[in-house]
Amino acid sequence: MIIRRRGTRREEGARKRFLESRRNFMKGAGLAGFGAAAMTSGLLADINDGARAEGEPIPVGGCVPLTGWAAADGLSFKSGLELACEEINLMGGILGRPLAPVFEDSKEQGADNIIPAMQRLIDRHEVHAIINGYNTGAVTAEYDTIADAGVPYLHHNTDIVHHETVGSDPELYFSNFMADPAEYWYGEGFMKFISDLNDTGKWEAPNRKVAIVTGSQNYSVVIANAMRDSAEKYGWEISLYETVVVPISEWGPTLQKIRNDPPAAIAITHWVPQDLAQFMMQFVPNPTPSLVYMQYGPLLAAFREIGKEATNGVLFATVVGALQDEIGQDYFQRFNSKFGESASPLTGSQPYDSCHYWAIAAAMAGGTGAPGEFEQNEKVCDRIRRNIYRGVQGATAFVLPYQAARTYPTETRDPSLGMPHQFLQVHNHLEQGKLIAPEPYETAAFQIPPWISG
Amino acid sequence: MDTVVQIIVSGLTLGAMYAASAIGLSLVWGAMGVLNMAHGALLTIGGYASYSAVLQLGLPWYLGLPAAMIVSFVVGLAIYHIIFRFMYRHPAFETNVIIATVGLAIFLEQVTLLIYGAYPFPQPFSIEEGFYVSSVFVRFQNVLILILAVVTMLLVAALLSRTRMGRAIRATALNREAAQLMGVNVGRVFAQVMGIAGVVAAVSGVMLSSITTLAPTMGYDPMLKAFIICVIAGLGNVPGALVAAFVLGLFEAVVQFAVGVRFGFPALLALVIVALIWRPYGVFGRRQVRRV
Repeated sequence: MIIRRRGTRREEGARKRFLESRRNFMKGAGLAGFGAAAMTSGLLADINDGARAEGEPIPVGGCVPLTGWAAADGLSFKSGLELACEEINLMGGILGRPLAPVFEDSKEQGADNIIPAMQRLIDRHEVHAIINGYNTGAVTAEYDTIADAGVPYLHHNTDIVHHETVGSDPELYFSNFMADPAEYWYGEGFMKFISDLNDTGKWEAPNRKVAIVTGSQNYSVVIANAMRDSAEKYGWEISLYETVVVPISEWGPTLQKIRNDPPAAIAITHWVPQDLAQFMMQFVPNPTPSLVYMQYGPLLAAFREIGKEATNGVLFATVVGALQDEIGQDYFQRFNSKFGESASPLTGSQPYDSCHYWAIAAAMAGGTGAPGEFEQNEKVCDRIRRNIYRGVQGATAFVLPYQAARTYPTETRDPSLGMPHQFLQVHNHLEQGKLIAPEPYETAAFQIPPWISG
Repeated sequence: MDTVVQIIVSGLTLGAMYAASAIGLSLVWGAMGVLNMAHGALLTIGGYASYSAVLQLGLPWYLGLPAAMIVSFVVGLAIYHIIFRFMYRHPAFETNVIIATVGLAIFLEQVTLLIYGAYPFPQPFSIEEGFYVSSVFVRFQNVLILILAVVTMLLVAALLSRTRMGRAIRATALNREAAQLMGVNVGRVFAQVMGIAGVVAAVSGVMLSSITTLAPTMGYDPMLKAFIICVIAGLGNVPGALVAAFVLGLFEAVVQFAVGVRFGFPALLALVIVALIWRPYGVFGRRQVRRV
């Protein structure tokens, strides 16, 4: 059993200052009550009211893939959490207590890797929160570990199974939050996106056909099925639904099927960047007049480095990632100056934003809770549910009862209430993709792909 | 017409990739009775060696392949001296070495991960240009892989059949004890085979990564396919492995187009089962005889 430690005198002082500060803030800003918006992390500094982060450190856990196939993203997640903790500590930590990030390796991201790693964070490090990027393999099996400890768990697994698990017993899983929208929204969001392009005259669809190519992983299949199921709603028909076994480098048979019945758009929900680059290298020499949308892979520079000119014009999307607006650019600069130009702030933003979000909620709730301190952790989680956080990824607001971030514009038409489903396009393979939707975050206009425009 | 051409091109590309993967595995299996589970890791090392030679040492791209062959040759020899040398005299060698090479594969993968990270790099030893057959685009790189797979097989066959070293290897493959009694230094033969296998794996690794990508786990899939090819061809039958690779590649491409891409590999496995029921020692294999 874990017994709560008594706070030091310095912490008690900070707690008193917090209570006074919070009363003043709420009164002044008029934000008290349900739906109060925690707009920026400056709020945390206000709550800390000048307290310096000198108290007993608060351990914050990151269960990230430091080795294995997702190690590149894992290192970005680690960097994102470290940067957030450093910035929060500069603002006085949480009521005067500094954050101390600790990490466990989720390796190949199977349940057999993730659950023991989470357990070590709880038992050995006694973390007050676990804040992750994504771990794909456990499929909510780790939620019971969290439910036993009661600490807030904010992750970005982008998994529709989260809705079912938390929705089935919100009381038991009260501290499990998926801080990004489920992968399902990629499907409907894509259909809405190409419909909008056609309706606004930015692109003229040659027909109403969409070819879907999916990988065999659950993530890809859920998105492909969501596309297929929502196609009719937006007036599209599926001309090809092909499942490929991965890894795949020879796309000839699939391409031939596409060429035999050219669709208006090709959507590939398999996500490995090198496989997608190979598709483009084999597609472009003999293309069909179709838009090409690809899942996740083009976010990584490897896609453009391998595919080179053939990747120009490719559309891709992310339901979670740092925006390219002023807030995002400032974050990119801070991230890269700390971790180097080769670091990837785009994915590091996931734990970065969630750590800020949790820290504000914990400060507003009067402090963090260790494993087993259910009462305090309930207060923190309640704050997480009530707050809306505008971070580098746009707005995070949780949909109840399943506690997953709302997506904009498919789930809400208000950009201040949802995380933007960002559509990007490769305009120049030597540069990162340009954000072309949704409003008001876009920084460039959609371009007709070179294999169509000629 | 385009469809037929595309299926043939895809089938030959798959076949060339499978052949490139299978030759080294088949050689070691045939000569030493060793199922070298680290073969995939050797491919990976070859691919990365070419990358480092070109992009980190600044050598011209065409020197990537020879650099990879040298590195993998050294690694092959090291595997013999660090592992095989202490095991091959034991009666349970053929079983123990499977476990040992599985461990070695994991170790080499982690070393690669530590040095290069998980980020997928493009292989600099690559020709991007190509030509059209009907309306189907064929990259010169794919043709190069096909040619190199055939040339490598012919060179390995010539080495085994026309040189003194090859005779010693074949003698060891047929009967290790008898070869030893005739004065063959079996340890040296094993070292030579591992060195050659390293060179062949380097060629395979560079070729495969040129149309896929470099990643620490890039050897897994070719290793699996190579294993299937070797089983269906007959254990250790290098020319048989080449023929089997192209037949299976074409078969898989036909199934992928006619039935569905996801059915290609299961159909290939089903074909292997049928073939092994029909010819239990492989289509080109002979009972109790190891050929190299």
